Order: sequence, then C-alpha cells, then structure tokens
Amino acid sequence: MELIILNAIETKDLTKYYGGLCAVDHLNLSINNEIFALLGPNGSGKTTTVLMLTTLLHPTKGSATVCGYDVTKNGEEVRKKISYVPQDMAVDIKLTGRENVRFFADLYDVPHTSDCVDEVLAVMELTDRADDLIRTYSGGMRRRLELAQALVHEPAVLFLDEPTIGLDVAARKKIWEHIRALRKKGMTIFVTTHYMDEADQFCDRVGIISKGKIAALGSPIDLKARLMKDVITVRVEGACIPPPVPGVLFVGQTEDEVSFTAENGREALPALADALTRSGTKVRAMSLHEPTLDDVFLQAVGKQEEPHGFEDGKFRIMLRRRK
Amino acid sequence: MRGIITYFKRDFTKWTRGKVAVFSALVMPAAWLLFVGLALPVKFTGNYLDFITPGILVMTMLMAGLSGGALLMFDKILGFLNKFLALPTPRSSILVGKILFITGRGLIQATIILIIALLIGASLLGPAQYGLTYLILFLFGVLISAFSTTIALYLEDHDSYSAFSTMISMPLFFTSTALMPYDVMPAWLATIAHFNPLSYAIDSVRAVATGVFPTVALLVLTMLAVIVLGICMHVFRKVTV
Repeated sequence: MELIILNAIETKDLTKYYGGLCAVDHLNLSINNEIFALLGPNGSGKTTTVLMLTTLLHPTKGSATVCGYDVTKNGEEVRKKISYVPQDMAVDIKLTGRENVRFFADLYDVPHTSDCVDEVLAVMELTDRADDLIRTYSGGMRRRLELAQALVHEPAVLFLDEPTIGLDVAARKKIWEHIRALRKKGMTIFVTTHYMDEADQFCDRVGIISKGKIAALGSPIDLKARLMKDVITVRVEGACIPPPVPGVLFVGQTEDEVSFTAENGREALPALADALTRSGTKVRAMSLHEPTLDDVFLQAVGKQEEPHGFEDGKFRIMLRRRK
Repeated sequence: MRGIITYFKRDFTKWTRGKVAVFSALVMPAAWLLFVGLALPVKFTGNYLDFITPGILVMTMLMAGLSGGALLMFDKILGFLNKFLALPTPRSSILVGKILFITGRGLIQATIILIIALLIGASLLGPAQYGLTYLILFLFGVLISAFSTTIALYLEDHDSYSAFSTMISMPLFFTSTALMPYDVMPAWLATIAHFNPLSYAIDSVRAVATGVFPTVALLVLTMLAVIVLGICMHVFRKVTV
C-alpha cells in the first residue's frame, strides 16, 4: 500500500509577474507541521508568496496547494483551512477585543461561538482586557488580538506576514512564544520576516528568498553549518578585493564590511589581516564571531543592494496590485 | 446570508459609536428643511414644506450614500479587506453588507428628517404611502451607494474621492426637481433635470404623496440600481484578485 503524505503547503514552480517585474520566480516549497520562515529583504517576494498561498492573488504560472487544495481552483476550501494575519495591523478600534474576535467567529460560522471566543482570548492572555475598546490596546496586544481572531476556527495552516514588525522586544518574544505553542499543537505556521535573529531562534526551517528565488533552504542550524566554524568580519575603508588566504573563504561583502569564514578563526585572523594589508586594503576593525543567519544570508544572496535604477512605474503597479 | 449580516453589524456598531458622525450627517438636510423649506417664498405651491420634503429625503440618501462610498475603500487601504478576503465567507457578502449598511444608515437618517418635517408642519401620509416612499428611498440608496463605492474603489485614495463627492453632490441636488417642479424651471435646467436620477426618486416620492403609483419611475430606478450594482460587483471582483 502506498502511503501518501499530504503536505500542508506544496508549491510547484509558483511564479508571479507584476507586468514585467518578476516578484516570485519558480518557487518550489514543501512545508508541513513546522514553523517555516520565508526570510528576505523588502521587495524580495515574501508578501506576494503569502498572498498567492492565501488565495488573494492568482499566480501567473505554476501551482500551489494548501492542505491538498489548489489555491486557484479550490480557493474556498483553502480559505476554510487557513488563517491569514497581514503585515498591516487591522483591528477595529471602536470595537472591544471580544467584539473583534466575535466578528471573526461569526464570519467563520464556528459553533459554540461564545465559548470559542472566550477560549482564544484566554489563550492570547487578553481575558482581562476583553471588554475594553481596542483604542486602549498596545501594539503587542493588538497583534495578539489578531492572532486570537485567526485562531478562532482552529486553522490547519496559519500565515503570518511580518508578525513582529513594529513591536518592542518583550512583545516580540511573547508573540513568538504563542507561535511556538501553536506549533506544538500540530499547526503549520508560515511566517515571513526580515528579522534574521528571530528566524534563527524560533523557526524550524527557513527559506531565504531573494529577487523571488529561494537562495537557501534548511534549518537554521544546518544553514549555519554550511559555513565554517568561525566568521570574521572586517570593516574596511575604500574598495576591497578579497585576497586568497589558505583556510579562509570569502563569504560576502556589504557597504564597508567584508566577511570571511574559517575553521579556526583565531589563527586565521592575523593571516587575513596581513593578506588584506598586502593587497592594499585599509583595515579599520576586525571581529570574530560564530556564524549567524545574517552571514548565511550574505553568502546566499550576496551584497544586499538598494535597487539601483529603481523602476518606479513597475513598483507602483506592484503596490497597487498588492493592496 | 450570515456573512452579510455580520459585516452589516460590524459597520453599524462602529457607526453608532462615533456619536458626532451620527448627528453631523443630519445637520445639512435638517437645515435645508428649516431654512429653505419654511422660509422660501414660492408661488407655485401653497405648502412648500410638503413640496420640498421628498427632495430633502432623497438628498439625505444622497449624502449618506456619498459619504459611505469611502467605507469599502478604507477597509481596503487599512488592510481589513485582505483579512476578509482570506475568509471562507463568500466574498460578495463583503460588498452586499456594505451597500446594505450605507443604504440602511441613510434610511435611518431619512426617518429622522421625516419626523422633523412632520413636526414642523408637513402633511401626514398613510402607511402604504410611507411603505412605497421607503421602497423608493431604498432603491435610490442602493443605486447611490453602489455608484459611490465603485468610484471610491476605482480612485483608490481618499482625497480624490472626497473631492469627487463634494464636486457632484450639490450640482446633482440643484439640477434635480428637489427645489422646484419642471414647469417653473428655465428650459435648460428642466432638460438636465429630466436626466438626473435624483429627479426620478423625488418625482416618484411626490407621486406617492398625491396617491399615484409611480410605475415608470420605479422601473427606471430599479433598472439603474441593478446595472450600477452589477458594475460595482465587477469592479470589486477586479480589485480583489
């Protein structure tokens, strides 16, 4: 007997063009029972991917299934299985917390509405303030309220677009704790973020996306293991052509920082300093640290440039379609 | 159906909590009723208040419809719409709920205006006449709210929309039969008034008051409402995938 494992999210060559601009380029992903983070700079195609998976945008090419349902052909079935919390916080400030959640419970047509609403409010630690107007809620509370709205129908897959953006450190931690707790209950959680440290700390698997393509995919530990044990970051002045040093590999370069990786950083440090000076690079500072997702990102994506010759017209088309 | 009611309830609760907005919308039509309805010396009718009341009722619906046009656009700009679209609730219920809310709100405001008119001396009509009046106002409300929602969705920004609604509200009102009948208008104005949808609504409310069933006007209003609603649905679908 053949056992078919149905992944929560499956994409095949998922592609989206906005006019001539390719926002998502042949994306192939299989995600199941995990916290998966799509990691990338602004404009890399994260939100577009989420919009396609949540049936808010039609793919130009390729296909995607959520819980076995095709996002274009069986949109309504998909929407029954998922919840989506967009990046921009949208809760009605003239309604109370309870009313906001109740509103979603009614829209999802969940049975035993009142109990259900009480329960999700309790899970998100909002019971004390449930009958206050949202006007009086802090940013972190509003985000938790949005999570409560999303959880009211017990979705199989939860999409969170930049769930911690604009929140303070404590509120972020709390949101992630809640996300982790949901994951333990068996929910699949698809997060987009550009905070590397959060993805590193809290996600089971990350996909680094750049210009609509997956540049690296795996668990944070595996991804970091692709680099050697130590990472050396050099702050330089002026141009730098990385010189070849035995046992040291060039990782990538940002504005004024050049990164290398080495098996033994302490020993490589002086050798690298010599080589750089000999090749005519003015070294300002050097630092040694363990690999982080930032380094992985740098290696996978390369220099994170602000797009030059920014095509305003195309960007406008993209924004308009995204709304 | 449940979705429509839920969306309606959300807008309604939000509206009733903004206390200033509830009353401020009534000031303009009430001022017309009092300061023009009671004060304007006209020769074509003995009871100008009875003549102008249908016009002011329709004006109330017009104002309510135009100010409601921005609601769906705001839901879109503020990110609510994306959340709603990701729900299994039929997407059309978002639009239908909105149009019913805008129309319903207009009817509530029109009722208050009607009561004020009665208090300051307008003639009381029979229940069937009021029933028909409300039907006409409802149809006109659907027409205007679908129209304004379409424009707002199309313009996609609040400044342009409010400029647009300010621009059309008064000309629409003045070129209708709200203030005077066709036969006392200059010929050019009468021609315009014949094409103004407001005139259809106002004329049929007046016909009802005199005991005539306004078959043609009702048919025209229904047809217009259905057509504009269809266009609105189409634009809504286009902006949402």
